[in-house]
Amino acid sequence: MIPMIMKMRIYEEGKRSFRFFFPVILIWIFVAALLIVLSPLVLIAALITWRSGPGKLLLFAYPIFFSVLFQLSGLHVEIGNLKRELLIHFE
Amino acid sequence: MSDEKRKILDMLAQGKITSEEAEKLLAALAAPESSGPEDSLGKPGYKYLRVQIEPGPGSETQDRVNIRVPFKLIRAGLKWAAFVPQAAQKQVNNALKEKGIEMDFSKIKPEDLEELVTQLSDLQVDVEGKEKIRIFCE
Repeated sequence: MIPMIMKMRIYEEGKRSFRFFFPVILIWIFVAALLIVLSPLVLIAALITWRSGPGKLLLFAYPIFFSVLFQLSGLHVEIGNLKRELLIHFE
Repeated sequence: MSDEKRKILDMLAQGKITSEEAEKLLAALAAPESSGPEDSLGKPGYKYLRVQIEPGPGSETQDRVNIRVPFKLIRAGLKWAAFVPQAAQKQVNNALKEKGIEMDFSKIKPEDLEELVTQLSDLQVDVEGKEKIRIFCE
């Protein structure tokens, strides 16, 4: 399932902690729209560079990019010590 | 009915074992079939690779790490790695080599990916020193 919300927390000793809830679905809509708009240009670039090699990569990279985005759900990264802390969570 | 179950029931009928002993033996026979989370394909149903580092008693920095990576993301990421330009791949491979890891991610095939992820499911590493490190699947 595509991640809908990203939680981020940054804490550093002596500074104000920063908590952030962001509906990443808004970014995905923007990214999807951008990729659709760019797709004719990518197709032309892929056809031009097909013989030299990168053309195939350009075309195959599109669906794989989406698959990476869709699988981000559940990713949790929490790193810290007594002085600072970083948390990133997708759900 | 399997031979083992038949033998247990025969022994019970002949009075060689009690009904409680028979029950325990039957339960022991059934145990391996029902142990461990499995999905419909019979593979372990693990979804995430976890890495946890917790500070031990002698730790000065008190560093903590808690990472949970979905296996599906690892699969997708490895496929994505195959599309990294060759010049960048060489740089990555050289950097890994300097760290003592001789591995070429571009040569990983889709069937290797499945094998790799399946093997990772069985992984559990526990290291205790200044930090307590746990790598496991859930």
